[in-house]
Amino acid sequence: MENFIEQFSQKSIEVLRKLPKAEIAKAMNILQAAFERDGRIYVVGNGGSLALATHWVADFNKTVFSHHLDEHVHRFQAIRLPSTEEELTAWANDVGFDMVFAGPLRNYLQDTDVLIAISSSGNSENIIRAVELARSQKVPVIGISGFSGGRLNPLSDAKILVPTQPGEYELVEGIHAIVLHIFTKYFKDYFDMLIELQNERKARAV
Amino acid sequence: MIVSSAPMRISFAGGGTDLAEFYTQYPGRVISTAIDKFIYIAINRAPFTDHVAVRYSISEEVSHPSQLQHTRVRAALLDLGIENNIEIASFAPIPAKTGLGSSSSFSVALMKGLSAYQGKRIDKREAAEAACRLEIDLVKEPIGKQDQYAAAFGGFNVLQFNPDGTVDVEPLLLDFKKRLGLERRLILFYLGLTRDASSVLTEQKANTAKNIETLKQMSDSVLVFKDAFLRGDFQGIGEMLMAGWNLKKKLASGVSNPVIDTLYDVAINRGAWGGKILGAGGGGCLMLLAPVESRDDIVEALTKAAAGEGLIGAREIPVALVQSGVETLVNSTGR
Repeated sequence: MENFIEQFSQKSIEVLRKLPKAEIAKAMNILQAAFERDGRIYVVGNGGSLALATHWVADFNKTVFSHHLDEHVHRFQAIRLPSTEEELTAWANDVGFDMVFAGPLRNYLQDTDVLIAISSSGNSENIIRAVELARSQKVPVIGISGFSGGRLNPLSDAKILVPTQPGEYELVEGIHAIVLHIFTKYFKDYFDMLIELQNERKARAV
Repeated sequence: MIVSSAPMRISFAGGGTDLAEFYTQYPGRVISTAIDKFIYIAINRAPFTDHVAVRYSISEEVSHPSQLQHTRVRAALLDLGIENNIEIASFAPIPAKTGLGSSSSFSVALMKGLSAYQGKRIDKREAAEAACRLEIDLVKEPIGKQDQYAAAFGGFNVLQFNPDGTVDVEPLLLDFKKRLGLERRLILFYLGLTRDASSVLTEQKANTAKNIETLKQMSDSVLVFKDAFLRGDFQGIGEMLMAGWNLKKKLASGVSNPVIDTLYDVAINRGAWGGKILGAGGGGCLMLLAPVESRDDIVEALTKAAAGEGLIGAREIPVALVQSGVETLVNSTGR
């Protein structure tokens, strides 16, 4: 049993070493630009990827600013789509599962926004539809994929591909969680330092 | 109503290598960053006015775009075939001709906004290309391409101008510690002398053949700057700026003047590592890198010296680096 655990851990470490650091950095610059222009960040994914999206939204909207909640009037606006089960099932039942993300996204999407699409295979049709909608409006897309990236990776502005064998969902989803936590930790540290420097400046001015 | 925006920029090295006279012979390179000073353009459809209205430092109302005094708006409207029923207004946080590339920020935001007005969304590269075409091909300004790309893409980039006319945009992936570290050591001091980039650039263009070796060195130096930024070696960058500034002064006679030289010396004597005049030179903003502990002292000394030289309106302009490029902030046309 310990062998099994060791093997899985080793495999995760190997894949982690292949993280596309420059693409993750580009993604964080895209998020920063959205923050500057007060744009919104929509996140979509199926199944486990939807759970990752929801977890990340909570962290990014709140945890990033948690050390200085009162000092940050201006915060990130990350939203998981669709935001209710009612909307999800309405689109799935009435129009089709392919439209569960692109359908609601069309209601919201403005030129100032960003789309994060999470798909292990990179081939989920409903995800691709949402990405195509964003691209048609010139809205930047952060694509987080696994396996060999599927259709999502080449369609993305920031191409975060966690390369594995096809079907290795357990590996991919675990590392996707790490990527999303990098986003959170980076901006948390960033805003902490920003506030620290502001306070230092205020102290000097006194 | 459509509101578009584009940031101004600070250029660290390579200015002049973005002119076609140079980059058709050797790849030009510029390293620059967008800053938190934006040009905003508001465009409104005015179906019942029967006029074209353009509001900037003055207000123009004409019956056909060909009658406009504003050369860029005139050329853009004529080129796009927009003849009537439109109002365009621009907003800027600081005066024109400060060397922060604001006139190209204006063009980039204008082309983005006018495209949206015609129901077409263009991306960053298309906005940069449209602005270059407007300024260089249609209005025939003797300028290069660095400002249009810096404004359209935003962020911190190495821009490469290839002999075939294409432009590569390589983002410099600086983490927040380096970005904030740079902001703390960067001083932007507005000299109050406004300048016209065209006159200096016209001389620089004429001198390109003579200066080709100097320009090659400047283009290559961009790669050295890039490595220094990635290392966070701000003192090294300051010292290179000083060397680059001395090189640039040789390019055209109007790049510096005795007042600028005096202020530069004041900053160096108070501990600045180095700096340069932003833009094509001849006035505008003095950009310096300095140790954190010296910056207040340097700004105070510069303010005093500028007053002594009779420079009206000279002051520090606090800046932060931004990732934003050209954006459509508002589009209520329903398209």
